[in-house]
Amino acid sequence: MATAIDELVALPARQVARRERLRLLWHSPTFLLGLVVVAFWVLCALVGRLLVPHDPYLPDLLSRLKPPSAAHWFGTDDIGRDVFSRVIVGARGILTVAPLATLLGTVAGTSIGLVAGYFRGIVDEVLMRVVDAFLAVPVVITGMLGLVALGPSTATLILVIGFVFTPLIARTVRAAVLAEREMEYVQAGRLRKENALYMMFVEILPNVLGPVLVEFTVRLGYAIFATATLSFLGFGIQPPAADWGLNLHDQYIYLTGGLWWPVLFPALAIATLVVGVNLLADGLAQVYER
Amino acid sequence: MDRSQHQRLDSIRRGQSELDNHLIDEFLGGYISRREFVRKGTVLGLGLPTLGAILAACGSTTSSTGGGALKKGGKMTVAIITPSGAIDPLKVSDEGGLAVLGQAGEYLAFSDKDLKLVPVLAESWQANSDGSVWTFKIRQGVKFNDGTPMTAKDVAFTVNLHADPANGSNARSVFKGVLSKGNTTAPDDTTVKFQLDAPNGNFPYLVSSDNYNLIILPSSYTGGYESSFIGTGPWKKTSFTTGQGVSYVQNPNYWDKSALNLDSLDLKFYADDQPRILALQGGTADVISQFSASVGQALLGNPNITVLALRSSAHRQIHMRTDKEPFTDKNVRQAMGLVLNRQQLVTQLLNGQSDLGNDSPFAPVFPSTDTSVAQRAQDVTQAKQLVTTAGKSGATVRLDTWNGYEIPQLAQLVKAGAAQAGINITLNVTDAGTYYGDAVFGKSPWLDSVMGITDYGHRGVPNVFLGAPLLSSGPWNSAHFKNTQYDDLVAKYVAAIDSATQRNLAGQIERLLLDQTPIIFPYFYKHMSASKTTVGSIEPTAMGHISLKTAGFKA
Repeated sequence: MATAIDELVALPARQVARRERLRLLWHSPTFLLGLVVVAFWVLCALVGRLLVPHDPYLPDLLSRLKPPSAAHWFGTDDIGRDVFSRVIVGARGILTVAPLATLLGTVAGTSIGLVAGYFRGIVDEVLMRVVDAFLAVPVVITGMLGLVALGPSTATLILVIGFVFTPLIARTVRAAVLAEREMEYVQAGRLRKENALYMMFVEILPNVLGPVLVEFTVRLGYAIFATATLSFLGFGIQPPAADWGLNLHDQYIYLTGGLWWPVLFPALAIATLVVGVNLLADGLAQVYER
Repeated sequence: MDRSQHQRLDSIRRGQSELDNHLIDEFLGGYISRREFVRKGTVLGLGLPTLGAILAACGSTTSSTGGGALKKGGKMTVAIITPSGAIDPLKVSDEGGLAVLGQAGEYLAFSDKDLKLVPVLAESWQANSDGSVWTFKIRQGVKFNDGTPMTAKDVAFTVNLHADPANGSNARSVFKGVLSKGNTTAPDDTTVKFQLDAPNGNFPYLVSSDNYNLIILPSSYTGGYESSFIGTGPWKKTSFTTGQGVSYVQNPNYWDKSALNLDSLDLKFYADDQPRILALQGGTADVISQFSASVGQALLGNPNITVLALRSSAHRQIHMRTDKEPFTDKNVRQAMGLVLNRQQLVTQLLNGQSDLGNDSPFAPVFPSTDTSVAQRAQDVTQAKQLVTTAGKSGATVRLDTWNGYEIPQLAQLVKAGAAQAGINITLNVTDAGTYYGDAVFGKSPWLDSVMGITDYGHRGVPNVFLGAPLLSSGPWNSAHFKNTQYDDLVAKYVAAIDSATQRNLAGQIERLLLDQTPIIFPYFYKHMSASKTTVGSIEPTAMGHISLKTAGFKA
């Protein structure tokens, strides 16, 4: 009868490492807390319309700017819509844009980082100088310029945020590839005259997935923030979407009159989602960077 | 009226023109109110002393507004909206810009908060019998703030400058079809004569502060206003920083210097309502110019703040392209007018600081408005029926507008209402610059969009609202509305001089526009400004002027 140790010995090293990471993640309070928070908002994004007590898009001027009450737990906004319902349903917008934009940025950035790190030389020089140029401009400014040029919509918001995160991810992946390219398995592949694409995406990429995954979660937090910021500045999703940043933009003018509820709850929603994603990122980083 | 009153009235009548006597007849016959008599009298050039004498002869009296005692001296800080472009008398087209123009500059007459014309650089004016030629007498002894005397030649130069299409003046939207370049002449130093393109009963408004670009400039003016702030007004610029503000001291050459109380004045620019409201609440500003009723609730109940709410003709227009689907059918346009709950818009969205609109430019504040025309009210069932009859149920349309005041909220309410009638609206809310574009057809979402919401400032008479956005040849005809019957009625209305004819034509125009509904006029909002209770004698207008000539701090 084979012992557990025998089984482990029999498994490939990569699989053992994955199991160990999963075990560590399940025992990480940081990761689990982040997972609960993010899972809550993902649930809201998926089935939020079924959970809310009021139609989040239906105006009711007679209930305009009413404070929190039993009928409207988070109060109502400036055209009488239920703030609670809008916060719950609003998760869908930000959880569509931010992950897709981060995914786009991660795919593009990883590709650029792999090419720059693997080839080095003139290719690396040119790509990294272009990356430096983009990094010199603040993310929000680049985003606003992109949205002005392409016109504000959900698709362009994804494209623009993905684009602005590409250089950041490219730089991180390049650093990881630089370390990997000196490893023996890469030297062996070169001796075998393997195709460069094969070497980058089949041999090297799996070995840098850890940093890529951590970078994805870190950037996801920033992408949520960037989406909300661009919406708040009026460059994001169009009304009457329940988008949190757009809600902040539309309602903050009432703060001077002491009407805090249409602003506080969307702001708290953004904050909890960003903190949740950051806790996930911290948990992943602790495990992958051991 | 007793015998002595009759005699006094007859003696006053003898010195008046045919038009003036017609107005007196309308008042005596009970066709117009006392308030309308005074307002219309100022348009025809009857001075307030004459109007007072007529009212006294008829057994009525004029009222005067008393102000608390103000002390001499001090510096007042006024927070206004940031001008959208350069301070250029030809180009200014926004409230921030016109508020600045009105400090160092002056107009021939000032259209006050009650829509009465108060003589300023013109002392009096008179029309010929059909209102096609107007003659203005210009005040003597007035100097520009550089010491140069102001004469009738400067007035003629200024008006011709704005009437010349080559100069691209914003005032052309008022002068087009009314007054052409070169038709303003100065036969002598005290007289200016306007030969109009067509008779116009409200012409004095069109050269008053209502046509806010028309501050009187010297005939030597060649541009570069921001460096000189040349004018005859009570205040002289000491410093100007683009985007920040303007500082003034008393104009040493001012013709009515004894009326001034303050030593100096600061206009500070603020981009949004909220920081201006905070500036007043925090004491940084003494006065704030227009703020939105939907945002400024905090000021309405503040015991340390005086809020001035002026009824106005300022409004939002929801245009529908009459040449584009689904709005080619007037049933669909009418349906859009029926889905809005205007009463709730007024009482809730605008905190009651607004008059109901009835889908024509005739605001309740205009005396010529025919108030007997039935008010359009919300009727979703009928709206749905109209859309179904037109076969446009399920149609999709994009509504373009810009992100300011309560406009985005109104757009969302229009969308929700239209959905109930079976029309699906998607919104495209941009910044003001994008929405207005180049303000010419083909290069402006405002003028090219199938549906849109546009903000219009106050005017003392409805002429501009009737013309630019609705005439077949109107330069702002965003609805692309072409209706010869309407064009004819407007031509007659503009030419009409007596109130009864104007009201009769107004009624016909109102009914025609209700039937056609190229544009929805949901409400006419009040112009709100506010000051500390320690401030007195500021005179805002619904147009956005803020006259500080006699302003001061209470003793």
